[in-house]
Amino acid sequence: MTIGVKKVSLTRTTRDQIFLPAILEGLLTTARHFFKNTLTPGMGDIDTIRYGEPEVDVKDYYPDRFRGVHRLMYREDGSVRCVACMCCSTVCPARCIYIHAEDRRDDQEKAPASFVIDELKCVVCGFCVEACPCDAIRMDTKEHMVPTETREEAVLGKIDLMKRGGPSVAVQGGAAPNYREVAPKRDPRFEHDPQ
Amino acid sequence: MFNALVSLPPRLAATLRRLPVAWVWLAVVSLMLPATACDGEDPPSSVDAGAQMHLEPARLVFHPDTAPIAVDIVNDGKDPLFINNARLEGPDWSSFQITDARTSGIIAPGERATVHIEVDAASLKGPGDARPIVAAGAEPPEPIGPDEYRVGEASLRFSANGAEVSAPIVFEDPPWFGQYFLPALLKILALVMGFIMPLASLLTWLERKQSAMMQDRLGPNMAALGFGKVKLRLWGIPHFIADGVKMLFKEDFIPKYAHRALYSLAPLFAFAPALVVFAIMPFGDAVCYDHLGDVLSQADVDQCADGRGGTALQIAHIDVGLLYYFAIASLATYGTALAGWSSYNKWAILGSLRASAQMISYEVAIGLTIVGALLVYGTLEPHALVRAQMDSYWGIVLQPVGLILFMTAGIAETKRAPFDLPEGESEIIGYFIEYSGMRFGLFFLAEFIEVIFMSAMVATLFLGGWSVPFMGAHGFETAWAAQLFLTMLGLGLTVIGVGAWRASKHGETFGVLLVTVGSLHLFGAAYSLFTGWGTALPHILVIAIGLLTWGAKVFILCWVQLLIRWTLRPADEPGLEGPASAVDRQHRPDGGDRVPHAARGAASHLARFMELRR
Repeated sequence: MTIGVKKVSLTRTTRDQIFLPAILEGLLTTARHFFKNTLTPGMGDIDTIRYGEPEVDVKDYYPDRFRGVHRLMYREDGSVRCVACMCCSTVCPARCIYIHAEDRRDDQEKAPASFVIDELKCVVCGFCVEACPCDAIRMDTKEHMVPTETREEAVLGKIDLMKRGGPSVAVQGGAAPNYREVAPKRDPRFEHDPQ
Repeated sequence: MFNALVSLPPRLAATLRRLPVAWVWLAVVSLMLPATACDGEDPPSSVDAGAQMHLEPARLVFHPDTAPIAVDIVNDGKDPLFINNARLEGPDWSSFQITDARTSGIIAPGERATVHIEVDAASLKGPGDARPIVAAGAEPPEPIGPDEYRVGEASLRFSANGAEVSAPIVFEDPPWFGQYFLPALLKILALVMGFIMPLASLLTWLERKQSAMMQDRLGPNMAALGFGKVKLRLWGIPHFIADGVKMLFKEDFIPKYAHRALYSLAPLFAFAPALVVFAIMPFGDAVCYDHLGDVLSQADVDQCADGRGGTALQIAHIDVGLLYYFAIASLATYGTALAGWSSYNKWAILGSLRASAQMISYEVAIGLTIVGALLVYGTLEPHALVRAQMDSYWGIVLQPVGLILFMTAGIAETKRAPFDLPEGESEIIGYFIEYSGMRFGLFFLAEFIEVIFMSAMVATLFLGGWSVPFMGAHGFETAWAAQLFLTMLGLGLTVIGVGAWRASKHGETFGVLLVTVGSLHLFGAAYSLFTGWGTALPHILVIAIGLLTWGAKVFILCWVQLLIRWTLRPADEPGLEGPASAVDRQHRPDGGDRVPHAARGAASHLARFMELRR
């Protein structure tokens, strides 16, 4: 027996031939929608997001994982968190991140002398965020790259990127416990011994 | 009473709590209900109770060509009325004549007797021999020429049971300009500029907004009236202004091989008949200029109707009214036919052929559906049709099938979906394909004006025109009819106002205004409960209620036509395709409550039907 075939009777009932009950049914349906949408607070059943209206903030509707314009986070003392490890510029498939390193002069870290992202080249893949070991670069601004009149304006430098940034409380260098201690002693997937 | 709210749905309860005005009204009414039980007295009336009788009409106006006027002597008392004398008095009594012999006799309580008065106009023709008493120093009246009439005055007096009633009689020959031309001009301007064109413009917006609301969309909402920094969105109503400006500034394109003269005239041929048919449409009973504050009987108002001291709220009182409509409506076919032919475009001419064929063929259906109403009411004249409905039942009661058929044929006549074979915006091309700018706008407006006219015809033929149930020319028949009317109106306004209030923050002012006005109506109903107010209303109030009622009926019917158009054939959706809705609906995750499929139910039935016929 075939699955999903539904036999529909095509006999005409009196109701079908009069047409009026069906028309009335349709009118009632549409009228119900009309009154619900006009008389209830908010917008009734209307799901439209009124993009661009002054009272509507689109950021409320974007998911948290939306990838927007990049930003650079800073430490508690206000200095940039980036340590110029080149992970992001290495992983970037569009090769749009340009970093020049310099000495931070605290005997520990490097710092970017310049950190430039060409937003015109960026493909918004988010790999740089994944690659960053120190929570320095993020794409959680929920902002679209706005159109610019010249190409130069679309190339964002360190200052531009840090203007959108905020303090990050992540522990520099990573504070994760030893993975050998955290990982389960026995992985159930390998419990079954083929021998 | 408030404890009952606990069991109500929270949303409803919140609504009710926001309506302190309604609570106050409920409290007032519940306090007053006992008062109505002992309210046995008759409501106050303008008629003097001591006379026990009155005349209808209370004032007789004659013109040179006036037919004999019927005067009713109505017995208002509880005793039989013995009439022993009916006579004419006054300076010109000899120019008038009582033609009915029955000037004496007995009239039972509640009954009425009729006499006819006619004028001998020739005796009032100049050169005048009237010698009016002129005060010393005053200007003597101007002499009257041989072809002019002088003003004649007399009074009709009945005496019975020791009391006497009288009605003044006036004869005059009014100037043509002031009596006929000026009122007609004012009525045309008021109807066209004050009602039809604004409503047609509004419908261009409403069609888009209403379809959006029916299909869970936002619809037009961006156009705004700007006053400096303040921007009034008004739910997008200013869109029709934006559309008008857009159409006026678009290129006025004329195809190279088009017949220029006919191409330019065709929009007018389509537009003008749509407006001209409104000439026969009565939008209210007659207005009596000099008695706006008085309580008038129907006989008084009827006397004003043909120009004697007033004017009927109808531009042309033609006895063959509905035939006039058919004559003019068939002229509208020229607009479509010429538009298609003069465009020099084969799709346009095919569309115009479809349009004219459809308009002519559905006129037959319209004519036949009207015949039922004509047989019942026995007249072709729309004003008389409404009066006949006031006296018996509305057409919707006597001719319900006729109403449905008339609506159907009317939608076909206006070439709108689901009868949009001539245009079929999304699939086939209509007769005005070559038109752009305001020339196209004229076709578009003509369509909406036809929608308004069809609504007005349905209101006139089947819904009693301007009339309110249980209401005559003097006011409501009984006090409870007034209370019912005021309560329904007040509740309706309040509900709409609360809806607008809650729907958006911009609607707050409008909503509060509506709730206030609605509450005032409810207080009016309460006032009527106390005093029996409503059975004797001033003439101007009756006229205003009639005008508003007519407007409301037409507007609601326009709304219904838009509802039908967007239900039976949603935009850009092939109406006659798709699976049968009843079966399809069961398989939809949302139960088929979304618009297109459920709304296409009838069309799907039609599709199945046609498929079976094949």
